[in-house]
Amino acid sequence: MSLLAPLALIGAAIIGPLIVAMYLLKLRREDRTVSSTFLWRRMVRDVEANAPWQRLRPNWLLFLQLLIMLLLVLALARPFFFTQGIAGRNLVIIIDRSASMGAIDEDTSRLAAAKQQAIQLVDQLPDGGRATIIATGGRMEVPASATADLRELRDAINSIELSIGGSSNLAQALTLASALVSRDEQSEVAIISEGNVTIPADLEVPAPVSYFPIGQRTDNVAISALVLQPGLTGQTLFVQATNYAPEAPAVRRLDVYLDGELFNAYNLTLQPGVEESIVADVPPDVEIVEARLSGDDGLPLDDRAWAVSRLGEATNVRVIGPGNRFLATGLALLPGVSVTTVPTTTTTFEETAAQIPVTILDGVVPPTLPPGNLFFIAPPRSTEFFSVTGLLEFPSVRPAAGEDPLLRNVSLSEVSILEAVRIVPGTWAQVVVDSDGAPLLVAGERDGRRIVVLTFDLLKSDLPLQVAFPLLLSNIINYLAPGSGADAALLLPGEPVTIQIDPEISEVRLTMPDGSQITQASGPLFFEPEQLGVYTLEEYRDDELEARLRYTVNLFAPEESRIVPQDALAVAQTGGIQSAITPRDQEGRQEFWRWLAAVALLVLLIEWLVYQRSGLVALFERLRGRPHDTAGQRPARSR
Amino acid sequence: MTEPLFDSGFLRKLDRLALITRRAMLGEMQGERRSPRRGASVEFADFRPYTVGDDIRQIDWNLYARMERFFLKLFVAEEELTIHLLIDTSRSMDWGEPNKFEYAKRVAAAFGYIALSSLDRVTVTAFGSSERGGAHLRGVRGKRGAFPLFNFMQQLAPGGAGSLAAACQRYAQTARTPGPLLICTDLLDAGWEDALRALSSRPFDMTVLHVLAPQEISPTLTGDFRLIDSEGGGPIEITADDDMLRRYQREFNEWRNEVETFCNGRGIIYLFADTSLPVEEFVLAQMRQRGVLR
Repeated sequence: MSLLAPLALIGAAIIGPLIVAMYLLKLRREDRTVSSTFLWRRMVRDVEANAPWQRLRPNWLLFLQLLIMLLLVLALARPFFFTQGIAGRNLVIIIDRSASMGAIDEDTSRLAAAKQQAIQLVDQLPDGGRATIIATGGRMEVPASATADLRELRDAINSIELSIGGSSNLAQALTLASALVSRDEQSEVAIISEGNVTIPADLEVPAPVSYFPIGQRTDNVAISALVLQPGLTGQTLFVQATNYAPEAPAVRRLDVYLDGELFNAYNLTLQPGVEESIVADVPPDVEIVEARLSGDDGLPLDDRAWAVSRLGEATNVRVIGPGNRFLATGLALLPGVSVTTVPTTTTTFEETAAQIPVTILDGVVPPTLPPGNLFFIAPPRSTEFFSVTGLLEFPSVRPAAGEDPLLRNVSLSEVSILEAVRIVPGTWAQVVVDSDGAPLLVAGERDGRRIVVLTFDLLKSDLPLQVAFPLLLSNIINYLAPGSGADAALLLPGEPVTIQIDPEISEVRLTMPDGSQITQASGPLFFEPEQLGVYTLEEYRDDELEARLRYTVNLFAPEESRIVPQDALAVAQTGGIQSAITPRDQEGRQEFWRWLAAVALLVLLIEWLVYQRSGLVALFERLRGRPHDTAGQRPARSR
Repeated sequence: MTEPLFDSGFLRKLDRLALITRRAMLGEMQGERRSPRRGASVEFADFRPYTVGDDIRQIDWNLYARMERFFLKLFVAEEELTIHLLIDTSRSMDWGEPNKFEYAKRVAAAFGYIALSSLDRVTVTAFGSSERGGAHLRGVRGKRGAFPLFNFMQQLAPGGAGSLAAACQRYAQTARTPGPLLICTDLLDAGWEDALRALSSRPFDMTVLHVLAPQEISPTLTGDFRLIDSEGGGPIEITADDDMLRRYQREFNEWRNEVETFCNGRGIIYLFADTSLPVEEFVLAQMRQRGVLR
């Protein structure tokens, strides 16, 4: 225990003697004439002496007043305990809510422990302290912003729920935190996480950063892949399980269910950090495959995975253009994609977006744009989505920072481009690959349509000759036709999905893994898969089932399955070395002057009761039905 | 015009009462009380042999017939009694609510009236006011004397701070005929023991009326006070709290017991009067109960 304002104790040295002196000083007495002091004199023989001082006698009031004084002075000195925590007035708490925080340590989940820790930090806020809560992992959320209202903060913390989507990248959260703390000198940032997070190296937080690690368990086995591929005669199932524990080997049983029936069970012995794969042939009529790891480990979320059969389904892609061999070959390589080539002179498009969801416009822009999602390649003129303003010669290729799904596994570093169209995209567009003054690849959504623009002709670059091309094409088709095509049925958790609905369909029903349903009459269906499992989409035309599509959402995320808690995080901080911080040597201050003040108030009440005790006794006796008779003794009747 | 001491209804009730004397006492004049003397009444007392010079009318001839010797037949003499009323008029008596002095005056007047109505002589002495011995009412007698008695009582004024003991000693020395004596005082004097002892040295038939106000019996002071003695004693400083009052109460009871024991030991009737009790009730009930009146 220590004091924030020890000077206040001087108050005790000044006021204490004053109180005692008041008791030493003889009282100013009221004159009262009595018939005779004869009886009084018999009683108080020792009170005589006319000195202004009297002997200090033990007195409850004196004792209580000194006690009140001591309590108040102590409260003014603001005592506190050192606790594990924070000391700043402006606190930014970053709570990791990514899937790995769903790990179960002992009996509570890590997220629950993190919330507990956050509430403890909030309770330690000094007077007038403000706190901001940032929930990171998946979409970043700020449930409470710079508020001093403890109840609001607690509610905000309790409202945080596990997010299965997204990664544990702290870049966004730390950037926001830096902006928030730069305004106040006495700021502090607290990161509550299990530590498996990505921290941007170039960010310097202008305030002390504390890290509160959550969790102890390290053992976790996950199903890291589950794929159902159409084969020649039937379907091939590929299951991969990985032991993410750092040291202990794991022995687990993998159960495979086909359409809910147990198909096979495999006993797996997994060395630390090693994955094991199983390939099995399953009958062609199987629709849903589920793999389960039996037994217990740290993170239950990744012990189950689902896959659905996509046999006999294909996505229609329309290509309008002069004909491009590279494009045709690239598209032909994509499984589940059927290509329709349309001459460049076509001006009317009969098919609906549901029938042909993706149109590739290779070097042409028809007067009327076809419905559905569009992929422009080297557009010759402006459209409603962008303006063409000229040409770029030998543009350099600069992929945008961050990991865009379009560039997954794609390396563009070797690509040379002769000439590109200079376009000015609308606000909908996000630049995926940038160049000198104009983008090379933009993607985005507008009015429920997904648009991708590649501003250079494939024939005027060496991109088609590189490994990157089929991958890029695959990514683009996946982006334009989600829920269809190659890993169409595989949706990413937390990633919003748009499914085009044919206008002739009167109703669509989406059944979530937990059984809840979304029913919608028309238009594109948006949803964000926040649950793991199988989503079933049923399309009805006049109450008749027209089509049934299944999607799976799995947590195939090695960074989330790695649940080993980290002891330290390296966060660059202004005014300090780039230090790995642990909370052990952090000093939080828990002030408790309020309790002292409350006790002082209580003692004050007692002091008042003691002072008035004679009146209280009289009142008490009256209440007990024995009137307190001041006339007292009547003349004695006995001899 | 001072208000009358009593109303007529109370006086009529007093007419029915009489003093109880515990022994026969000498008087000066013929009265209605038994006297130790032999005298003329209808009540036989004794026989005595005749000696020369005796009144031959008193010889019991029947006895002479039987014994052939002269005997005188003696009768109990009936004489008047002198009732002594002593009233403490020191300033300490003029205190309290209801006032102790007024109370003492009324009780004494009632007592005196009862005595007068049985043809006894009443003398009133107020002491305490001055060294001279205070106001004095020489024996009044019979119902006729009620007027001077009440008049005297009404004109009595409190004041002074004489020593109770000295006044009592002087009275004991100067009083001529002992008789029933009622002393009305609060005894709030260090010399109360000497005072009572001095009076009891003479064969008075003594009754002490100990008058105290309820404020003295159980004070309701709270706080810090400097108590000033109404008779001019030095002030005393007290801090009246619960504990203090409890100690006072204990001290008071002890003192009262002391007085009562002292009186009982000397054949003095001790009457304790709380002025909150009405005078009428005190006289008609309490005094009769204690065997002072009947």
